[in-house]
Amino acid sequence: MATAQRSVPPARGVLQFSIHDRLWKWLLLLPSLLMTTVLFIAPVVWTLYAAFTDLHLFRVGVETEWVGLYNFQKLLGNSSFWRTARNTVVFMLGVVPMQFLIGMVLAVCLDNVTRGLKLFRTWFLMPLMVSPVVVAFVIGRMLFQEDIGPINSLIRWLGFEGIPWLTHPNWAMFTIMVIDVWQWSSFMILMLMAGLQGVPYDLREAASIDGASFWQTFFRITLPLVLPIAATALLIRIIDAFKVVDIIMVLTGGGPGQATESVTLAIYRAGVKGGDLAFGSSQAYFLLLVMVVFGGAFLALTRRTMSQTKD
Amino acid sequence: MKVSTQRRFIRGVSYGILILWSLTLVFPMYWVVITSFKNPVDMSIKATYLPFLDFEPGLHAWRYLFVERLGWFMQPFSNSMIVAFVSSSIALVVGSMAGYALARFDFNGKNNSIVLGFMAQRMFPGALFMLAFLVMFRELRLLDTKTALVIVYAAGAIPFIVWVMRDFFEGLPVEIEESALIDGANRLVVIFRIAMPLAAPGLVAVFVLSLIGAWNEYIVALTLTFRDSITIPLFMGMQVSQTGYTEWWNMSAISLVSVIPVVTAGMALEKYITSGLTFGALKG
Repeated sequence: MATAQRSVPPARGVLQFSIHDRLWKWLLLLPSLLMTTVLFIAPVVWTLYAAFTDLHLFRVGVETEWVGLYNFQKLLGNSSFWRTARNTVVFMLGVVPMQFLIGMVLAVCLDNVTRGLKLFRTWFLMPLMVSPVVVAFVIGRMLFQEDIGPINSLIRWLGFEGIPWLTHPNWAMFTIMVIDVWQWSSFMILMLMAGLQGVPYDLREAASIDGASFWQTFFRITLPLVLPIAATALLIRIIDAFKVVDIIMVLTGGGPGQATESVTLAIYRAGVKGGDLAFGSSQAYFLLLVMVVFGGAFLALTRRTMSQTKD
Repeated sequence: MKVSTQRRFIRGVSYGILILWSLTLVFPMYWVVITSFKNPVDMSIKATYLPFLDFEPGLHAWRYLFVERLGWFMQPFSNSMIVAFVSSSIALVVGSMAGYALARFDFNGKNNSIVLGFMAQRMFPGALFMLAFLVMFRELRLLDTKTALVIVYAAGAIPFIVWVMRDFFEGLPVEIEESALIDGANRLVVIFRIAMPLAAPGLVAVFVLSLIGAWNEYIVALTLTFRDSITIPLFMGMQVSQTGYTEWWNMSAISLVSVIPVVTAGMALEKYITSGLTFGALKG
């Protein structure tokens, strides 16, 4: 009955009072639509077009020609491109699970304490505010400095050989991962913390009174309930990890050799530095494809896991 | 009895882990602070850890930055300030207006799709825009200008602001706006005098987050600017690759000056920032 009476204003408190409002709503929305169309849709469409041409930044006055799939053929046969694609996937697979693990452990820890909670939470926010360039410089160039940096000094003091953090291909990738984990684990902590706050405390309390151990409560009750937020947080981090470029550019410039070059860095090199807009654009679309494939696979996986845990 | 000892144990372990991670986050900060007070001799042979005990702190890096080379450093610093504030302000006004419209008006039942359309933009890799921006701003003769960065950063921040503010406005009671409209108030008055002030916490959160984003952005700035309009991250990136070993103390001082404003602002507004960051996920 009450619902019938209230059926006139739709669920989300939509108000429309006059004919002017119909004008207003478009006036309010239009600037955003316009800006994002010009700076989002237009570039995306242009890049798609460029990928099928021989557009070049430094060549002016020459007819641009349609080259069909040439750029993509060039891409697939290019071993240095595959190297950057592999690096990007390796980076993503290295950092995201690590950030998730750290984020989960610390979110559970935060959930167990009361005194100092606000202090920890505020401090954990800090890495998210710092520019990646600064993080790369401070951690990568100073802490991991190979000759007199504190970390190698400690390792030598313990009687081992100093580690070539930036000059050995695999270690360089590792160092870059450490930097990303240092910076972005906080995001996972915050997200999972918000998820845990949504799990009713009574539920866990009841489980532990019934004799469930800490781990049983965690895996049977807490984890399934934070899964939706965890999935969102993971997806955001997967997407961001695929875009990695700034820390690499500052720290190793993609080196040694090509060991740490990411796809975005390769696109910057080809398109902005080299002026080969067409080849750069085809790489950008390839990156998008890889992201869609991984993102889609991840979503399918979480959906299956979630429907299983519901049973 | 047994339950309480177990709980005390868990709490102890939790504090241990939390302190360990806090120290992991503190250490680089500590290191950059002490390095900015080091003299070249303190870093030439071996690492030094404690001011006054194993090295004599000096102010030469700070003097270099603020006295000798102030102009050199002030240009990128003021560029970053202008670009971050102007772009975030534009995005805030434009984005929150759209957020309000999507919360209070019906767009033929397509409100959710429009919001999703905005959000989808955040998923696309920046590499997809980078080259187009370069060509676009070259044609407009806006390369190496602050205007180009303001436009790109404002447009980049809008989707997130629309997303968060729409939810925020939906959470506000409609009745106040309704009665104001019935009393004959103009729609604009309702938005700017009633809805916006009520949404202040959300506005603060999205404004600071876009400010931080613009302040720290690197790759677009690298593509679009090269001399007069470089921002702080770009300036630092250049210094890092140029100086290598030699000028760590100066770089540390620059890092601190560039980081302290945003980190202080962010941590002071912790509550808002955390809610802004986690808002989307909680709703979705």
